[in-house]
Amino acid sequence: MLYAAPVAAVLLTMVLGAIIFSLMGYNGVGAVIEIFTRPITNPLKWQDLGIKAAPLVVIGVGLSIAYRANVWNIGAEGQYIAGAMAGTAVALLTMSMEGPWILPAMIVAGVLGGMAWGAIPALLKTEFAVNEILTSLMLNYAIVHLLYFLLRGPWRDPMGFSFPQTSLFTPSQSLPYLWQGTIMHWGVPIAVIVALVAWFVMSRSVFGFQIKVVGAAPSAARYGGFSTRNTVWLALLVSGGLAGLAGILEVAGPFRQMVPGFPTGYGFTAIIVAFLGRLNPLGVIVAGIVLAITYVGGEVAQTTIGLPSAATGIFQAMMLFLLLAGDILVRYRLKAVRPATAGETA
Amino acid sequence: MSPEFLVAVIITIVGAATPILLAALGELVAEKSGVLNLGVEGMMLIGAVTGFAVASTTGNPWLGVLAAAAAASMTSMIFGFLTLSLSANQVATGLALTIFGAGFSALAGKAFLGRTITPFVEVFPAELARHAIWRVVFGYSPLVYLSLIMVVLTAWFLKSTRAGLILRAVGENDHSAHSIGYSVIGVRYAAVAFGGAMAGVAGSCFSLVLTPMWAEGLTAGRGWIALALVVFSAWRPYRLLAGAYLFGAVMTLELHAKAAGGWFSVVPPEAWAALPYLATILVLVAISMRRSGGTSAPACLGKPFLPTA
Repeated sequence: MLYAAPVAAVLLTMVLGAIIFSLMGYNGVGAVIEIFTRPITNPLKWQDLGIKAAPLVVIGVGLSIAYRANVWNIGAEGQYIAGAMAGTAVALLTMSMEGPWILPAMIVAGVLGGMAWGAIPALLKTEFAVNEILTSLMLNYAIVHLLYFLLRGPWRDPMGFSFPQTSLFTPSQSLPYLWQGTIMHWGVPIAVIVALVAWFVMSRSVFGFQIKVVGAAPSAARYGGFSTRNTVWLALLVSGGLAGLAGILEVAGPFRQMVPGFPTGYGFTAIIVAFLGRLNPLGVIVAGIVLAITYVGGEVAQTTIGLPSAATGIFQAMMLFLLLAGDILVRYRLKAVRPATAGETA
Repeated sequence: MSPEFLVAVIITIVGAATPILLAALGELVAEKSGVLNLGVEGMMLIGAVTGFAVASTTGNPWLGVLAAAAAASMTSMIFGFLTLSLSANQVATGLALTIFGAGFSALAGKAFLGRTITPFVEVFPAELARHAIWRVVFGYSPLVYLSLIMVVLTAWFLKSTRAGLILRAVGENDHSAHSIGYSVIGVRYAAVAFGGAMAGVAGSCFSLVLTPMWAEGLTAGRGWIALALVVFSAWRPYRLLAGAYLFGAVMTLELHAKAAGGWFSVVPPEAWAALPYLATILVLVAISMRRSGGTSAPACLGKPFLPTA
């Protein structure tokens, strides 16, 4: 039942989506077919799916860990941008250099950048008891403006005809492709490895246990000697660091330079990925692919049947609505015996 | 600084503050009943696009405002159904509402890009504001006066009416309110619907008065600032009013800095643009530091209500 809800949510999204878009005067059935099946049936789109899913999975894994700990990091978008910017900074410093160490240095900088941006809400929550939802969210907006400033001024490519963008990264600063002649880069296998490691850590280690206990039963966690404070820090550093990793992989992979159009909302979509994946790193892989399908399919539907790109967002939001609604039907049976135990846990 | 310049400054501050004031008032009432709706930004966008669509089609901006309130209120019922009837997680549902609102408004607004609307007729006759100074009292859009009336009404409703007392009781102790026989879920539905309607009006304030036009994502995160404003106000309507104007001042600083010239013009525009968000964080920290120990948040805020018997 636990895993039936996400499947049901996706299927219901397709049915309801077809109805709603038909009512809005679009070709609803066509839209659903284009969005949800075309990326799967057309092998040419599989690479697109992989490179779209990779950042969603990496960010989504981090968020699923944070949400398990009941730490509501809504700032993944900002941490993703921060990671990409930190990596870009290293790239711009090493423009005239060569060597196999440059890309790893950029990746480390990216992870640290995401962690740093995630550390701000962690510090504010643990030291000043400020709710992390609003602070992490505000930081998303703040860093976008910092990015625009850097691209307009200090980071602008001197040979770039005054476009606000950096120089192209050199080959030793770019993420290699898996095979010659593909667009599939190393970010894709890295995403899978991240998810597998996270799954192992969450289900087999004390760290994972701590995260889950603090999130599910704070009093029990305190009794067991787990520090809530440390858990908040861990949750935000891990989710921030992974968002930063996704950011640097994206800028060194598909983008290969920093542009104003870099922030594309992956950090927000990854919230849906985390929930659809049941806050379980393995589930996040599947959910990341499903959301990647809606992105790639949305682009297909745009060209084939002229469906506006905003439709993708509606399908994604519907999926989350229906999942949250379906969750209750899953949990309802558990809740039926709640009165007997409510007194002990309250 | 000439008095005319000062008047112009005040008018832009009030203009920028009004939508966040409206949206935050609605959210304040919802939170007083114990519901945390993070979908303010999404509901504002729905209101902005609906208000603009109706106003540009009918030529009547007031119909636009009404439609914006109705549409956003209906949207908030998705949130209400999920969180109140199905006791879904309020944080996740609110986020979904924001993502939905952003997508839906972008889609629905496609047809209205580049259209124009008839502006509001001034509330007060132009003779009253003959001197520039008087514009500080008489020179605003009707929605500004509406927002002030709503502050007074909301404060009065929460403090002095029986219904307001019940709403607060539901937010402070849902099980007690339930056991006396009040419908916790019913009260919360009403509060969420009110919050939605106010967010809708706030959204229409962007597309009908401030911009005035429709553009994708034109509320630019102001809905989230409204949420922070509720925390800032410690859930008190009059403090909310003061806070909104304070934020309005921060949001319009760039404009005035440019006009004032001098060393202000050295500051890059991006820094001014980021300022409201950073100021929000600082304000949240300041409030939290001053309020060591207990908070003034409604006790049941964000918790689903599950009747035990």
